[in-house]
Amino acid sequence: MSDQKHVTEMDPKEAKKEIEENEVVEIVEPSPNQAKLDRLVDLVKSNIAEDAVEEAYINELDRDLPSIVIRSPYWLKTAMMLKESETLKLNYLRNVSGIDYETYFEVVYYLLSMSTDNQQDICIKIKADREDPSIPSVTSVWNTANWNEREIYDLLGIQFPGHPNLKRIMMPEDWEGHPLRKDYEPIDPEV
Amino acid sequence: MIRTEELLLNVGPQHPSTHGVFRIIVKLDGEVITEATPVIGYLHRGTEKLAENLTYTQVIPYTDRMDYVSAMTNNYVLCHAVETLMDLEIPERAEFLRLIVMELQRIASHLVWWGTYLLDIGAMSPFLYAFREREMIINMFNELCGARLTYFYMRVGGVKWDAPEGWIDKVRDFIPYMRDKLDEYEQLVSGNEIFLARVKGVGKYDAQTAIDYGLSGANLRSTGVKFDLRKNQPYSIYDRFEFDVPVQTEGDCYARYLVRFEEIKQSLRILEQAVEQFPEDGKIMAKVPRVIRPPEGEVYTRIESPRGEIGCHIVSKKKPQPYRLKFRRPSFVNLQILPKLLVGETMTNLVTILGGIDIVLGEVDG
Amino acid sequence: MKGIVKGMGVTLKNLTKKKITYQYPDVPLQMPDRFRGVQHFDPEKCIVCNQCMNICPTECIDLVGKKNPDPEKKGKVIDTYDINFEICILCDLCTEVCPTEAIVMTNNFELATYSRDDLFKNMEWLNDNNTNVRKENSINLQPKSIPSKAKKEVK
Repeated sequence: MSDQKHVTEMDPKEAKKEIEENEVVEIVEPSPNQAKLDRLVDLVKSNIAEDAVEEAYINELDRDLPSIVIRSPYWLKTAMMLKESETLKLNYLRNVSGIDYETYFEVVYYLLSMSTDNQQDICIKIKADREDPSIPSVTSVWNTANWNEREIYDLLGIQFPGHPNLKRIMMPEDWEGHPLRKDYEPIDPEV
Repeated sequence: MIRTEELLLNVGPQHPSTHGVFRIIVKLDGEVITEATPVIGYLHRGTEKLAENLTYTQVIPYTDRMDYVSAMTNNYVLCHAVETLMDLEIPERAEFLRLIVMELQRIASHLVWWGTYLLDIGAMSPFLYAFREREMIINMFNELCGARLTYFYMRVGGVKWDAPEGWIDKVRDFIPYMRDKLDEYEQLVSGNEIFLARVKGVGKYDAQTAIDYGLSGANLRSTGVKFDLRKNQPYSIYDRFEFDVPVQTEGDCYARYLVRFEEIKQSLRILEQAVEQFPEDGKIMAKVPRVIRPPEGEVYTRIESPRGEIGCHIVSKKKPQPYRLKFRRPSFVNLQILPKLLVGETMTNLVTILGGIDIVLGEVDG
Repeated sequence: MKGIVKGMGVTLKNLTKKKITYQYPDVPLQMPDRFRGVQHFDPEKCIVCNQCMNICPTECIDLVGKKNPDPEKKGKVIDTYDINFEICILCDLCTEVCPTEAIVMTNNFELATYSRDDLFKNMEWLNDNNTNVRKENSINLQPKSIPSKAKKEVK
C-alpha cells in the first residue's frame, strides 16, 4: 500500500457498468528500487555470465518489487552466488510458485535476506519450455525448495534435475497427468 | 544370542497426535528413530486448481478451509493480495475490524495449539481449559459473522458485517479475563516438572537451520531470529500499535512453547489498543466494482498467521478469475524440517516435536 | 514437585466453580441472529434472476424457471429449486446477491441424516423451513446500527 506513484481511480458509477477500466496515471519518476535492481543485475552479470539475465523489471503492482528473469542453465550458479554474496545474503527462500503460461512454464522464487538489516524482497523467475520442462533444482542451496519443488513437479510436471527425491507429494504415486496444467483433462471425471 | 532388528513403524494417517490425516513412516532401532519419511496429501483438495475457475469472492470461502484453525488470517491474505493489485484504499473501520478479528483469531489458534500440544504429551486438563476460553472467542465470531469455524468474514475491499452493538465491549471485557486465565495456565503447566522434562532440549535446531528450511512464525523466533511480518514488513494497520516480538534463543520445544505463550499476551496488548482507538463510525466497505477484475500483473503478499508466514501469489490476466493462485502455506513449509529433527530421537519424542511445529493438515495439503 | 502441586491447586480451585458445559441435544442451542444456517426459500418472491446459482462457489443450487402463468404479467416464476446440502458450504453468498430476499438464511442447523439422499432438499422443503429466519440478510440493506438484543453469549 506504500505505492504512491501508481494511482488507480475508480469510476463512481460502478453499479451501472459491468467492467471498469482502471485509469493508470503516468509514472513520472523511476522507482526507488530501481538502483537495487540495477545493482542486482550487475552482480549477476559480472559474477555469472553476461547473458544470464533475460529480463529485469520493477513490479509496480507489487510494491515496486525488483524482479529478474534468469536463464535456466545459469540458475543453480546464480542461486549459490545470491546466497553467498556479501552484499545480498539472500538466505531465506520464502515462496516458490509454478505457473503454466500455456506456451511456457515459469517458476517464481521469492527471496529475502535474514542476515542483513536491509530486508528487501527479490523476485526471481525462471522460464521452462512447454515440452519437456526442466529447471535445475536449488534444494542444495535452500532446503525450503525441497518440498516446494516436489509440489511443482507433482502439479505442473516440471522436472528439477539435482533434486534429492523428486516424487509426487500431493497426488498418489500412480496419478496420471499434472492437475495444475491448463490443458489437464482428468482421466476419470468422477473423481 | 540377542539380535536387534530394524523395525518399520507406520504412524497415521489416522492417529490422534498427528492432528489430522498425516502419515509418517519411521524406521526404529529399538526405541530410537533412524529414519523418518512423512507422507502427506491425504487432505489435498486442489484449492489452487479450483480457484482458477472461481471469482475472487468465491475463492474466499475456500481459504477458510485451508487453515481451519485460523480462517480469519487466510481470508485476509487473499483479500490483501487482490487489494494490493487493485490499489484499493480500505476504510478505517474495516481495517480495525479486520485487525481485531485477526488478533482474536491468533489467540484462539494458539489456545488450540496449547491445549492439544499438552494433550499430546500427556496432560489432559489444559485442553479443557484452553477450549473454554476459545469458546468465548468463537461465540464472539459467531455473533459477528454467523459461523463458528469457517467465517468468510472478509471481502475484497472490506468486511461483510459491521460489529453488532456491544460487540466491541465484549472484546474489551475479554482482554482482562484472558489475562487472568493466562496466569492460571502458567500456574497449571509452565512450572510442571514432568512437562519441562518432556520439552526442554527436545527438537533443537539453530537459527541457521531454521532460515535454511524457510521456517517462519514461532518456529523461527524460537531460535533468536526476530522476524515478525507485523513488525518487519507491516501490513494492514499494525504499524500504529505497540507490541513486542517475543524471541527465545534455545530453539527447542520449550522455547517454541514460551514464544507462543508470550504471543497471546502480545495479541491482547494489540487488542487493548485497537478497541481504544476503534473508530466511532465509518464505512466497512471500500468502493469496489461489482465484478472484481484486478489489473494484469502479479503480486505476492504475505502476512503473519499464527503458524507463520502465509502468502498469496496471484497472477491476474484482468479476468474475474485468477489465472494462477498460489498459497504459501506455513504449515507445509515448516513441516519439511520434521524428518531432520526426528533422526536420533526416541519414539515418544516424535509426538512432542511434531506438536511443537504446530501444523494444520488442511493447510499442509492445500 | 513444586510445579505439580501448584498445578493441582488450580485444578482444586476450579472444582468448586460453576459448570460451563452445555447440555446440547437436551437443551437446544440458541444461535445469534447472524448465524448462517439452512436457507429458507420463498418461491413467491423469486424472480428467477439466476444470481444465486451463478455466485455459488460449489454449484450446489439448481433452479428452473417457467413463464409466468398469468398472461398479464411479464417475467418468469420459479418452477423447481434444489439445494444439495452434501456440497453446500453455507457461505451466505446466495442470500447476499438475492435482490428480493427470496432466499434467506435461518438459524436452523441440524441437518444430520442417515442417508445422503436426504440431503438433497427441494423447493417445498426449503419453503417449509421457515422458522428462525435471519432478520438482517442483504449486505446492501444492512442498517447502520443494529438494535441490541438479549445477551446470547454462553456463559
